[in-house]
Amino acid sequence: MNTLLTLGDNLKTFWDYTGMANAIFIYLAIAKEYEPLLLIPIGFGILIGNIPFNEAAGLQVGIYEEGSVLNILYQGVVQGWYPPLIFMGIGAMTDFSSLIANPKLFLIGAACQFGIFGAYAAALLWGFAPNEAGAIGIIGGADGPTAIFLTSKLAPQLLGAVAISAYSYMALVPVIQPPFMRWLTTPKERMIKMKSPRVVSQTEKILFPIVGLLLTTFLVPSGLPLLGMLFFGNLLKESGVTRRLAETARGPLIDTITILLGLTVGASTQATTFLRPESVKIFVIGAFSFVVATCAGILFVKFFNLFLKKDNKINPLIGNAGVSAVPDAARISQVVGLEYSPSNYLLMHAMGPNVAGVIGSAVAAGIMLGFLY
Amino acid sequence: MNKLKQLLFLSALILLVSCTIKDENPRWVINEVMVDNQTGFMDDFGQRNGWIEIFNNTYKTQDLGGRYLTDDPNNPKKYPIPRGDVLTKIPPRQHVLFWADNEPFNGTFHVNFKLDPSKDNYIALYENDGKTLLDEIVIPAGLPTDKTYGYPADGIKFDKNNNTLATQLERITPSSNNAVLEENPKVVSLQENDPFGVTITITSMLVVFLGLILLYLIFKAIGNTAKNISHKRVASAGTLSAVRGESLLTGEVLAAISAAIHELNQDVHDIESTILTISEVRRKYSPWSSKLYTLRQDPRR
Repeated sequence: MNTLLTLGDNLKTFWDYTGMANAIFIYLAIAKEYEPLLLIPIGFGILIGNIPFNEAAGLQVGIYEEGSVLNILYQGVVQGWYPPLIFMGIGAMTDFSSLIANPKLFLIGAACQFGIFGAYAAALLWGFAPNEAGAIGIIGGADGPTAIFLTSKLAPQLLGAVAISAYSYMALVPVIQPPFMRWLTTPKERMIKMKSPRVVSQTEKILFPIVGLLLTTFLVPSGLPLLGMLFFGNLLKESGVTRRLAETARGPLIDTITILLGLTVGASTQATTFLRPESVKIFVIGAFSFVVATCAGILFVKFFNLFLKKDNKINPLIGNAGVSAVPDAARISQVVGLEYSPSNYLLMHAMGPNVAGVIGSAVAAGIMLGFLY
Repeated sequence: MNKLKQLLFLSALILLVSCTIKDENPRWVINEVMVDNQTGFMDDFGQRNGWIEIFNNTYKTQDLGGRYLTDDPNNPKKYPIPRGDVLTKIPPRQHVLFWADNEPFNGTFHVNFKLDPSKDNYIALYENDGKTLLDEIVIPAGLPTDKTYGYPADGIKFDKNNNTLATQLERITPSSNNAVLEENPKVVSLQENDPFGVTITITSMLVVFLGLILLYLIFKAIGNTAKNISHKRVASAGTLSAVRGESLLTGEVLAAISAAIHELNQDVHDIESTILTISEVRRKYSPWSSKLYTLRQDPRR
């Protein structure tokens, strides 16, 4: 009888802790294929981290028990060294040539960062402290590793909600962005055909990570962990002589870190800290930040076009791609563009602001860290 | 040439910015000093003496062993801090306390001089060479009994105008923070001065735009230079691509023309070439005896 009671208590505790949120994530990942690479580790991590056990027994199995296996793996999140490693992999897999060929697309990546600061202001208005608002605001950067990196520093208690919100909205980019893209553009603007990007030389590709690192980190030294690793990974790719290192960075390494990151973020998330009104607010602000970022990018392109020659104009449908979320946001530009002009291929053009958004959001995270940490 | 000037200007600007950033606070700071200790903190021997607190003002563990502590400007090597004591390895942003009891044989942290409350007390910390000054402070005469002199915030010696912040401290905090940080001062300041996040938004967006505009300008200049070099090369080579720089034809049109010419040439060649030549292939070596085949392949780069 006692055994049954204990089992009942444990199940109740498990339910209280997880609220079966893990089941929702695993379902979304498998059935809907929403960011499965992250949502499956996070969902299963919630399961692992919330199995009830007697802490007084000193088994050292809980994620918050110093020296436990999960705790050791969790240090990558707490100390913030998983996200820079992921950034190295992103750098090693990203081709910046569309951006180098048409560098004015950098500015679209900058404009979309309004999403971060719009969300920051919204979070302040909704009663969050500035450091928490900074962590919530970074959801607008549409960059999971950056969001986790900044939140682990500014507001670790919000890590689960921010990480899940960021990855959920990244998965929902195809749902969120197109209505605003159509709403803010005229049929004529959607038909704009952009010039084919020029061929970029190897020298330019090698110069890019070096100059990019020096410039951005001189301005925002606090962004060094993310930007340093991003540009380092890119140099591994572009140098042409470190193929093995680049392949490891963009393959086995990034996969390993993604597994550990997702699993430990999930395991550190409990319903007692996750299923709260604050989390609902974070989800609402997260959606708002994506909308602001998308609109800011599109409106900026329209504004920028006022100063460009007729044959040099930019199709505003690539404005949404500045929110990073590589390469989904760029793919949406392509899909929406093809709806209105079947021969207008915007993918390569959209990749420019898309990767500029990655740099922009890392710079913005560095600024937030400088102001609030 | 103008592009080159722009690049040089930007490089100079970056260098200027980097050079103007200087670190005013030293790596080690004599953080808090008690001269006359009557009722305060006691050492391991139950004695009350003056003490000197030194603060590791960096974000890495540093070893104080081998450095010198002195109260005499003419004798920088007065008290050599013993090497090899694990306790002299001070973690980042942490403190260590030295007893000014003139009892150096009581341990590493007992120096060979005493502080005198009736006069100014000069205290200095020197580098291992006994010449490089790491930090110094003068405790004015007349510091009340059981009071300390030092810096209100750990390791911060100067204000914005480079004035010293050393003063008599309100709280006695041996081996602990001089200022107790209960809240993040940056967050508190933002809550008071920027409740809606307007200032931080404007500032941050300016920095983001500035960074990406600089990247835009630099890569525009680099791109133009690369294009010029490429045009010169193809023009000097006299290839079809040279036309590209001079005409308004797009890349696709040029590719189509090139493909057509190539196909034409191939066709002509197929018709004209009807002579079959068979030439003997002579192998001067056999793979069986080739040294190359016996070597292991280089790993892929």
